[in-house]
Amino acid sequence: MHLVVCLKQILDPELPPGEFRVDAQKKEAVRGSASLVISVFDENALETALQLRDAAGQGKITALCVGPESAVDALRRALSLRVDEAIRIREEEFPALDGFGTARLLAAAVRKLEPADLVFCGREAGDWHGAMVGGLLAGELQRPFVSLVAGAQRAGEKYALRRQTDEGWETVECAAPAVVSVTNDDANQPRIPKVKDNMMAFRRQIPAWGAAELGVAAASLAGPNAALEFASLYVPKSERQCQVLGGENAEEKAAQMAKKLAEIQVL
Amino acid sequence: MKNVVALLIAAPGSLRRTEAEVLSAARRLADGLGGRVTAVILGAADESWTADAAAYGAERVARVEHAALGSYQAELAVEAARQACLALQAEVCFVPSSTYGLELAPVLAQKLGAAVVADVTAAAGDAATGAVKITKPVYGGKANSELIARQAPLVLAMRSRAVAPVEKKAGAAAEVMKLDVQLDAALAKSTIVERKTEAAGGARLEDARIIVSGGRGLGGREGFALLEELAGLLGGSVGASRAACDQGWVPASWQIGQTGKKVAPELYLAVGISGASQHLVGIGGAKHIVAVNKDEKAPIFQAAEAGVVEDFKTFIPALIQAVKKHKAAEGK
Ligand SMILES: Cc1cc2nc3c(=O)[nH]c(=O)nc-3n(C[C@H](O)[C@H](O)[C@H](O)COP(=O)(O)OP(=O)(O)OC[C@H]3O[C@@H](n4cnc5c(N)ncnc54)[C@H](O)[C@@H]3O)c2cc1C
Repeated sequence: MHLVVCLKQILDPELPPGEFRVDAQKKEAVRGSASLVISVFDENALETALQLRDAAGQGKITALCVGPESAVDALRRALSLRVDEAIRIREEEFPALDGFGTARLLAAAVRKLEPADLVFCGREAGDWHGAMVGGLLAGELQRPFVSLVAGAQRAGEKYALRRQTDEGWETVECAAPAVVSVTNDDANQPRIPKVKDNMMAFRRQIPAWGAAELGVAAASLAGPNAALEFASLYVPKSERQCQVLGGENAEEKAAQMAKKLAEIQVL
Repeated sequence: MKNVVALLIAAPGSLRRTEAEVLSAARRLADGLGGRVTAVILGAADESWTADAAAYGAERVARVEHAALGSYQAELAVEAARQACLALQAEVCFVPSSTYGLELAPVLAQKLGAAVVADVTAAAGDAATGAVKITKPVYGGKANSELIARQAPLVLAMRSRAVAPVEKKAGAAAEVMKLDVQLDAALAKSTIVERKTEAAGGARLEDARIIVSGGRGLGGREGFALLEELAGLLGGSVGASRAACDQGWVPASWQIGQTGKKVAPELYLAVGISGASQHLVGIGGAKHIVAVNKDEKAPIFQAAEAGVVEDFKTFIPALIQAVKKHKAAEGK
């Protein structure tokens, strides 16, 4: 069993709005002193793959990241969680990547790594929220796509994928090869690496694949979204005044709150 | 661009708000473009969907009722949608922001060679140029991006609750057609073997008039028991932040925010929730936001119109008493 997990490195999404700035010219967020992290749903995806391997008692996991040089940190993290291989795809060779381009690059990498039973992605990236790479990748690879998965198990020749729906859950059975996108759940919270695994990960060489290794020309990556004009990026204004409901103790504050609720006619 | 399709995926019962929003987004865009709306109903939806689609402004309703579309199956739904879009020469196709709609969107776009944008909060058409201006919040709602589409085809998923349904015109006439598609059952590569509906903490969050919502600050299930008691008294439902769901204190389907439910209650009472932008994204439609947090600097107070700085463990029981007292005084 070979599992591939796609990871994106993003600006810390927990950065408070007060510290968040955009560069309106470059149309991107200003990094400032914010840290770079693995996009949250990709961490859930990695955990889901690790659990599947744990339960199966065998299998190989490869982590893939389309990103700049800094992205080796994300891959090191994956190695410290005991994925077997980690490969960076040299984003610097492919300017102006969008979801279609990313999917094509990942597809080229997966083809080099075949056989790959399940390919995992996060449901959406925590910066641009495109929510399309998983589905597009499945399309590129001509594999079925199952979205919003939070747990995967072997079910004979197939995989049983537990997936979130609007009202609850369902189990989708699917044969490999397939692409799944992963959502957050209490069952796939990222584990913490062991100290010795951190040290091991630090010593690992992380290969970087570019146009030559993947056999993909940058010019061939433009998909239909390249025709969209990215007109602007801005921080919306929000001004709200919060009325602090005071009081000497909880009882007094509660009375104020009850009054407020009656005022807005919900009580 | 003039040919706008509203793609609806059959579900049991009558047409819901999800579909009304898809139809309304399509109607508004078509009005801007001087175009027309075709509602495509995939699968065996109730007969009433046809009249309802017309009432929400579709000029044409195309029913795609192949035997293989009995209940949702990913590959078959995508293939049926693809053939319908081609047959109708769809230039813009709106899909629902539901589990299945969002699963289908990128795969359909890939097959149609269409640009695709999800989590869109506004799509405005310009009749003179035929262009569509798309607003999509990014960075967890901390910024907005604006994209301009000048070329068809385009697949769009509007964020839930971002579109107020257009006025429903009962009895509106539409051209109704059956659209045949060729589907080979062998296309299906996955099977849904089990479906489970999770208990909600009250009325469906999407429809709830009052929501009492808890976050990591509640520290455990016991905290949520207090919120349930309060919600019960107020006739409301209980929701949660992602952090609370991730802890397993409440079901994942209670999550509100960027990747959870989008809600629009009269009252949203946030308890022990810090107010991360990704959470606020889900409550943009709330009329009144009120917060309880022990940290006066918590960002939730910037989104709330009123707030109490207090530990929920002392405050919520006191509020429960105050609400009971108020009700008794009102004779309710
Ligand atoms: C791509 C992406 C999508 C996301 N989608 C969502 C989403 O859909 N929904 C969502 O909620 N989040 C989402 N998040 C996560 C979000 O960024 C925050 O991590 C999350 O909302 C934090 O939850 P919280 O407010 O409960 O926890 P915290 O931020 O930890 O806040 C806990 C709060 O409780 C207060 N508190 C602690 N103890 C008490 C007490 N005894 N009494 C009163 N107050 C107390 C604290 O002061 C604090 O303000 C998403 C993140 C990303 C990157």
